[in-house]
Amino acid sequence: MKCAHLSRLVAVWLIVCAVWKASIVQGARDFEKKVSMLLREEPQNPKCFAEGRKDFTCFWEEDEERAGSVDQYSFTYTYQNENSSRCPLRALPAAGGKRLFICRLNRTQMFVQMDIKVHRLGTLIHNRSLLIELVFLLDPPANVTVSRTAHRDQLNVTWVPPPLKYMDDSMMYEVSYMTDDDSHVGQVEVVRASSELILRGLQPDRKYKLRVRVKLDGISYNGYWSAWSDPVTMETLPAELDALITSLTLIISFILIVLSLSMLLSHRRFVIKKVWPTIPTPDSKFRGLFTVYGGDFQEWLGQTNGGAWLSPAFFYSEECPSPLEVLSELSPCPPLPPKTSRALTTGSGEDKAIQTTSDNRELLESGDSALTERWRATPHDSWLMDRLRALQQNPVPGSQSSLLESQDAYVTLSANNHSGDQHLGDVLEEALPLQAIFASRKTALCESHSDLGSVQLSSGSGHLSSQSSFEYPGHVWMPKGTEYAYMAVADSGVSMDYSPHEQSGRLWETRDLRQRDPSS
Amino acid sequence: MKKSTNVFFNELQKTQLFLKSCGLLALLLMVLEWTRPGLPSPLRPICDLRVLNHFIKEARDAEDAMKSCREGCSLSESVTVPQTTVDFEIWEKKNQAQEVQSGLYLLQQALSLLRASVTNTALHSHIDNSLRNLLSINAVLRSLNIQEYTPPASAAELEGTWRVSTATDLLQVHVNFLRGKVHLLLSDAQACQQDVS
Repeated sequence: MKCAHLSRLVAVWLIVCAVWKASIVQGARDFEKKVSMLLREEPQNPKCFAEGRKDFTCFWEEDEERAGSVDQYSFTYTYQNENSSRCPLRALPAAGGKRLFICRLNRTQMFVQMDIKVHRLGTLIHNRSLLIELVFLLDPPANVTVSRTAHRDQLNVTWVPPPLKYMDDSMMYEVSYMTDDDSHVGQVEVVRASSELILRGLQPDRKYKLRVRVKLDGISYNGYWSAWSDPVTMETLPAELDALITSLTLIISFILIVLSLSMLLSHRRFVIKKVWPTIPTPDSKFRGLFTVYGGDFQEWLGQTNGGAWLSPAFFYSEECPSPLEVLSELSPCPPLPPKTSRALTTGSGEDKAIQTTSDNRELLESGDSALTERWRATPHDSWLMDRLRALQQNPVPGSQSSLLESQDAYVTLSANNHSGDQHLGDVLEEALPLQAIFASRKTALCESHSDLGSVQLSSGSGHLSSQSSFEYPGHVWMPKGTEYAYMAVADSGVSMDYSPHEQSGRLWETRDLRQRDPSS
Repeated sequence: MKKSTNVFFNELQKTQLFLKSCGLLALLLMVLEWTRPGLPSPLRPICDLRVLNHFIKEARDAEDAMKSCREGCSLSESVTVPQTTVDFEIWEKKNQAQEVQSGLYLLQQALSLLRASVTNTALHSHIDNSLRNLLSINAVLRSLNIQEYTPPASAAELEGTWRVSTATDLLQVHVNFLRGKVHLLLSDAQACQQDVS
């Protein structure tokens, strides 16, 4: 019981001691601050200041080596029209190897002149005359608080003035504020006889550091600026977008989006073409190849008419140098050697044949004008018909010349309306309208008489295709005179593949035209 | 018939006389009220210390002017001036109003003497200004419901006075008195305390 009581007492005593020491330490620190400040600012000796209405402190500094003991010094002060008095001195060590001699009075008279004299061993070392109410050095303002206001660029600063009676109206304050980054010098606002201030014109969303100091205004009382209070940090509110600007921006962006969307939709075809261009496919040229035969070319060739496909010249690009040239040198009616008939008899649709025909096409194109004239020449010789007959009877893997003959045969049939062989007759009958067609084509190339021509061509093309499905093993095609004309017809106005199967080529051409018509 | 009209007219004349006298009486009362001497109407309390600060500044200007004066700026005789000393512990227990009132009176006397003594025309304006300011301070005190001061028969009876013999000292006392006691009295005035709270 007793032990507990004792221990409690000891604890309380320790706490009290600690607090007292802390306050003393704090007071000492404040005093040191004031001393150091006065040492900087006050040139006269002794340096004196008043902290309140009743206290008064004077001190002076001396080097440690030269300073004597406290007893050597005397501090004497005299009020006006009064007797002098002495002040008890005490010495304190100071920084930098110095000593402070301090006099402190607890009762003062203001508004009256005070004469101070300091003697050391009878010698006057310091002399000063002052009025105590004119040397105030106050403590900095306490409880500095910063708060935000309704405005984003304002801060409200409040503080508690030093507790001095009668002197509140005589105090002036300085509020220093700066942004946290210390990028620029802090600004200062002066306030008189008021303990709050609203800072305006601040930047939004920035951290500000604020501090306050106090001084008497100098009319009734005067003194030195106090030390700065401890800094207080506060962040201003962030800037918000003006409501009007935000709404306007939204409206304008909405309008722009709507406009762009409507433009895109109205020109979607154009945009799609540009962004996703259509890759041309040959489906339109090969009717039924993909839809009916699923891409099986051989089947399609076998089933459909020969005019519905591109000539082998489309696939073959083998260069055959000079069949066209040779063609131009030939006279219209030389009989072909029998070996030429071999060229005619080939299988169906080999690549080599296609290659040959492609070469022929090139040759044909070069000799366009000449061929046209030739075509108008008188009809063909009977030797052509013989060749054709030979062809029918002896299908031989074709040489170049045989190919020619077959072509010749076709041309002859179309031009002369001869009907010799039964096969030929069929061909002739069917090919009769061909002449008309070609004639018509001569006059009006671009006219769409294709319907008429196509039907008839197709009827005959079956035969033609069977004959046209020869293999052409890369021989140069030797054109005859009639072939000139034939070539000219084939060549007239339409860029397409030329082959021995001009009929088919023509058919293709017409088909192409037909196909073109709906789209044009 | 005649008699009745005579009576009627007599009555009418009496009434007229009565009304006239009433009018005259009213007029007289109004005149008396206007010319009533000496009684002050209740003033609004002047609690703004900037008025006194202005006076203090002007007194300081006069003191500085006197310090820079070389000729024709001396006091012919020593004057009695109030003490300016303020010991707060003592001051709070004093009759502050009386002390201030008597001090102002003494200063008025002293400055009047100085005005007569000084020949420097530049100083005349300063001294006249100071005298006017002292009267204004009296008006301020009146506004604060502070009693009128009745000066004693002789100045020597007063306590808390000094004797000064130079113009500089006189004006220094003048400044210190205004800054000290007068300022403390005005800042602590009861009438102003109610306004503040």
